Amino acid sequence: MLQVLLSGLATGAVYGLVAMAFAVVFYVTKVINFATGQLLMVSIMTVSGLSAIGVPVWLSIVAGIALSTGFGVAIYYGAVAPVLKVDRTGFGWLVSTLGVAIVLASVAAMIFGPTSRAFPALLYHHSIRLFGTSTTWQEMLAVIVAAVVLVAFEVFRTRTLFGKVGMAISGDPEMATAVGANATAYAVIAFAIGGLLAGVAGVLVGPITFANPYLGDTYGIAGFIALMIGGIDKPAAAMGGGVLLGVLSVVANTYINSQASDWFPFVVVVAVLLIAPHGLFASGNLFARWLGRGRRSAELALPAVRS
Amino acid sequence: MIAVAIAYLASVGGVANGGYFAQSLFVTGGVFAVLAVSLDLVAGVTGLYSLGHAGLFALGAYGTTLLYHAGWNIFVLLPVVIVGVGLIGAILGTLSLRVSGLYFAIMTFIFSLVVTVVLTDFPFTGGLNGIAGPPLPSFPASLSFLGSSLVWCVGLVLLLAVGVVWSIRASAMYPVLLAIRDAEPFAAANGVRTAATKVGVFALSAGLAAMAGWAFSFTGYISPSQFTWTMSVNILVMVIFGGINTRVGPLIGAAFVSAFPVVVSIDPLVQEAIFGLIFLLVIVLFPGGVMGLVGWFWRRIVSRSSTTRHHVTDAAGEPAVTAPIERPARIREVSWPSDEYALECEGIRFSYIRGNTVVDDVDLRVRRGTVHGLIGPNGSGKSTLVNLISGALRPDAGEIRVSSVRVDGLPAHRRPGLGLLRTFQTAVLADELSVRESVTIGLYHRTPRVALRSLIWPLLPSARRDHRRIRSEAGEAIRSVGLAESWNEARVADVPHGVEQLTQLAAACVGEPNILILDEPLAGLSASEVAEVTEIIDDLRAKGVTMVIVEHQTQFIFGVCDDVTVLAAGKLVTSGPAEQVRQNERVREVYLGQ
Repeated sequence: MLQVLLSGLATGAVYGLVAMAFAVVFYVTKVINFATGQLLMVSIMTVSGLSAIGVPVWLSIVAGIALSTGFGVAIYYGAVAPVLKVDRTGFGWLVSTLGVAIVLASVAAMIFGPTSRAFPALLYHHSIRLFGTSTTWQEMLAVIVAAVVLVAFEVFRTRTLFGKVGMAISGDPEMATAVGANATAYAVIAFAIGGLLAGVAGVLVGPITFANPYLGDTYGIAGFIALMIGGIDKPAAAMGGGVLLGVLSVVANTYINSQASDWFPFVVVVAVLLIAPHGLFASGNLFARWLGRGRRSAELALPAVRS
Repeated sequence: MIAVAIAYLASVGGVANGGYFAQSLFVTGGVFAVLAVSLDLVAGVTGLYSLGHAGLFALGAYGTTLLYHAGWNIFVLLPVVIVGVGLIGAILGTLSLRVSGLYFAIMTFIFSLVVTVVLTDFPFTGGLNGIAGPPLPSFPASLSFLGSSLVWCVGLVLLLAVGVVWSIRASAMYPVLLAIRDAEPFAAANGVRTAATKVGVFALSAGLAAMAGWAFSFTGYISPSQFTWTMSVNILVMVIFGGINTRVGPLIGAAFVSAFPVVVSIDPLVQEAIFGLIFLLVIVLFPGGVMGLVGWFWRRIVSRSSTTRHHVTDAAGEPAVTAPIERPARIREVSWPSDEYALECEGIRFSYIRGNTVVDDVDLRVRRGTVHGLIGPNGSGKSTLVNLISGALRPDAGEIRVSSVRVDGLPAHRRPGLGLLRTFQTAVLADELSVRESVTIGLYHRTPRVALRSLIWPLLPSARRDHRRIRSEAGEAIRSVGLAESWNEARVADVPHGVEQLTQLAAACVGEPNILILDEPLAGLSASEVAEVTEIIDDLRAKGVTMVIVEHQTQFIFGVCDDVTVLAAGKLVTSGPAEQVRQNERVREVYLGQ
């Protein structure tokens, strides 16, 4: 049981990082970057490709993460900013980021071929015994990195001026801009952090999945589902959704059958969306309302009335 | 119109007797076109970005195939899958539209994923390999000159889909749908059941997508890989590529997407990359799509060939209001029931956040046929009270009665039917509509069964009659608020703020109000427009319309109002005849600053 839980935690940490990559971008810009999974793939393919031609592993990891971060920023400038300039409230970004996802996957398949390639083992062969269970250092690393990222992000968001300005932009970009915040710079940084988190998640999961140009689909969808389970409004909630999804998937695989993780996440996400549309860990959801801390709002009925 | 249909059928006949290449291209393109047209109805016209159309398409195709193997007749199955998938769409819409437009996109996206997973993992669907679709019988020998029955099947399905969608676009429902997309409070205030209408439109679109699936099942093997989320995105790309919310845009997009892999036959990976790149570039560089480009070129040609400038720019040069105008007697003389109060609010209490009461135990009694001012400092709860009366918000406690009928339990869209109409402090209208079209929305609650009739609008004599009546009544109402005729066809996006305010006032007037609530009708108006509004109010009063006016300009309020109610910090300060209220010590202190 503990073994299953630990393994689920490791899977969930990676899902959570991808979900956080989605959520950080959404938090600042209210855009869902549907190419987030492909950014994870970019980092995996880069590490695999560079280490295959003899580049030291550490250097190829740095290059992989740097490249996925750079692509994150490029997506903002190439596919999101122009669309938002035309229509700030429309859903054009939905199509343009999905377009980027398709381009990235097919270009990667053109360069590296559509089949799986080797990925450096990193810490995958180093086992560790913990409370009578056996796990790899690679999995432990995923859990540790996710925890550090989560804590660091929350401290950064709530304790520094930079983070507080980010919160202000998230709440009301026009007002924040009016008092001097640079919303564009924050959007760029959000996309960079999104790329960074996806890239890190790629390095963590690469030794297990190997390198495949279509990994972006798998992890993009898993991360997106984790995001929906946890709640899209807060990056920390997304991480919670990722961990929950990872644990539940591994539990389903172990106790139902080995194919269960193909469909089980969908059952979970549909159930969650029906019961708590804003996600399990979001503020203002069903549980929060039960506790009497929820907010009533007239946003749906009356976006235009102010007085 | 009939000529176009005949030409279309003739060309379908031509393709049906043509070569295999043309036939297969037409079948793919036709099925895609049905999907694109159905998606444009929800995404373009109603503003609901569905990413679930691949799933609905799959349900249509698999539903037909599986029920055929269970022994059903394929022609009986057409209405069955349309209605069945339409119902599934209605359920999906009801569940997902309660939150927001983004949530709807996400829910439908996940719906698509779930459908693919079910089709792949369950044994009865044939798994990844797919399943053989039913064969479509050929024409009998006497009709064999018609050629391929599959081409005719797709051709007729496309004709039906385009017919329904174009009919809606031509109907009185179109401005209403655009208002739901861009100006939901405005639509709701005019009696439109916005939530139900959205669900209905999505259900219709789902039914059309299922119809595409029905036709698609005759093409051979169907497998889950044809219905993945990328297909949903492809359909959206077709719509945006051709031009979202246009008549022919989705058809152009579908033709492009289906022809692209056939014409550009290169390495599939390169092809996919180019395809992704194309739709990235289209959305980034030409968000209006092909039709947007065509329109841009067209406007350039027109502006070069004619020396006179566009009438909108001409009109904008003049003052918006061209007084004095002989006003037509627009408002029907209202009957005078015996009850004294037209509108009564008793003990109204409301809070947005628990523990912070915004409206606290407020009474408001409005005598029939009078103009009642509602004043108070900022944050005193005036607008909240107006929203409670119009039904946009529900009170926590208290009663609201319109002509002695209790309304606080009724949804907002039922109130215009009782003669209770309102305007907003800042008019939010649909930018793409003309001024006249915006005003026609005010007639929606007085015109029976618009939504249902819009499906075959041009074919119905009654609908054509109503259409003419609606247009002329809207034109009259625009005149009655003092706007010059030249504004009728101007797009809302191009008109100044004052004209927008007068447009929403015209929309309220055309709905024949007994009680009209004006929320800061003077906000942002020029001096001549203020004079115009004053005149309109006098006119309405002369016709017996009861009015409640929220306003900060006290001079104006004490000038036109019979009675005045003063609120401060959510509580009632005083209420009574205007002169008496003006003399009230507390009012002078809290509000007039004297």
